[in-house]
Amino acid sequence: MMHKTTHFGFTDVATEDKQGMVRGVFDSVANKYDLMNDVLSFGAHRLWKHYTIATSNVKAGDKVLDIAGGTGDLARAFAMKVGDTGRVVLSDINAAMLSEGRKNLINKGVSGVDFVQLSGEQIPFANDTFDCVSIAFGLRNVTDKDQCIREMYRVLKPGGCLLILEFSKTDIALLEKFYHFYSFSVMPQLGKIIADDEASYQYLAESIRKHPDQETLKKMVLDAGFGLCEYHNLSGGIVALHKGIKT
Amino acid sequence: MQAIILERALNFLLATHPIDIQPLEGKKVHFSLQDFPLEMNFICTNNRIFVTTDAAINTDVNITLQSSVFLALFQGEDLTELLRQDKIVIHGDVKTAQLLVDLLQQVNIDLEELLSKYTGDVVAHQVGKLAKKIKSSDNPIGSIKDGITNFLIAPSRH
Repeated sequence: MMHKTTHFGFTDVATEDKQGMVRGVFDSVANKYDLMNDVLSFGAHRLWKHYTIATSNVKAGDKVLDIAGGTGDLARAFAMKVGDTGRVVLSDINAAMLSEGRKNLINKGVSGVDFVQLSGEQIPFANDTFDCVSIAFGLRNVTDKDQCIREMYRVLKPGGCLLILEFSKTDIALLEKFYHFYSFSVMPQLGKIIADDEASYQYLAESIRKHPDQETLKKMVLDAGFGLCEYHNLSGGIVALHKGIKT
Repeated sequence: MQAIILERALNFLLATHPIDIQPLEGKKVHFSLQDFPLEMNFICTNNRIFVTTDAAINTDVNITLQSSVFLALFQGEDLTELLRQDKIVIHGDVKTAQLLVDLLQQVNIDLEELLSKYTGDVVAHQVGKLAKKIKSSDNPIGSIKDGITNFLIAPSRH
């Protein structure tokens, strides 16, 4: 019998196995996740997230769902924007990451955030619920990305905004060379030194390479039903923010 | 980046003033400048406005104009008068265009700064000055001529 396969980094694995393997990666890195993000991106992930919030068009009273929200960076910023009359749901498929997120937000005195463990491929909310749905550095880990985008479309209200912040492709040749060297030679070593986990950061580098480029992802967003999608390249295209509007 | 600045300014205005944008709900308006490579879409939905630069979307109304007229519009120039003077071309629903222009005229934003990202500071400043002059002048045609003359001469002086 033929099994459907998908990629886990550069390795082909049975589709039904990927979710568990990704869970293993994030179980392993959860407690050092924020530190590693700061080290590996030289702090740039904060700017990328700041830009995402700035372009979100979220306002007081809005309902926001942050998928694969991990340690809660975006959820905290959204909570400040929606205020007491709004609602923010921080979600992650991984219990360890969600637990880190909850701990972070409690430590930072953030209230008004709900925590839900969920898969982006099966979002347990009604149609037309949220004004904004975000997923930052999470989509590339999802097994069925098209299904995830369709689900995000479903739970958005008409006029709602989708934000996908994700590693992407740079078309600057020199930057690409440096980035390739850094991703495959430096990042796994830093992972080994700081988090005692080389394999997870090798997966990170590989999963970035396997993720759809800007135009492909834009097409996927439009194919899911969004009336409009545009993307903004950040740091020369190393990261891209796709913004879809459900019209 | 300029679209985001404008989007934020518009939505700040909506959040802080009792402005009803329901008549614009679901409307998409496209602006394109004839003299600069700047195109913007204003999408009014879910009680907010999104500003994008994607040229590939279907819109309810297309507005084509010179950059100086675009700035003049923001500074309160009457849309009907600009139409009468053939300074602006509108394809589609004029009422939607008027509603959006009414809204844009309430935004307090430095459009010279916005435009300068596309054109360079000197050009944007000259265009901005020209727009202000047109608005305050009894002789807009004369102002445009003066402005163009100044613009053509001024850069060589520096």
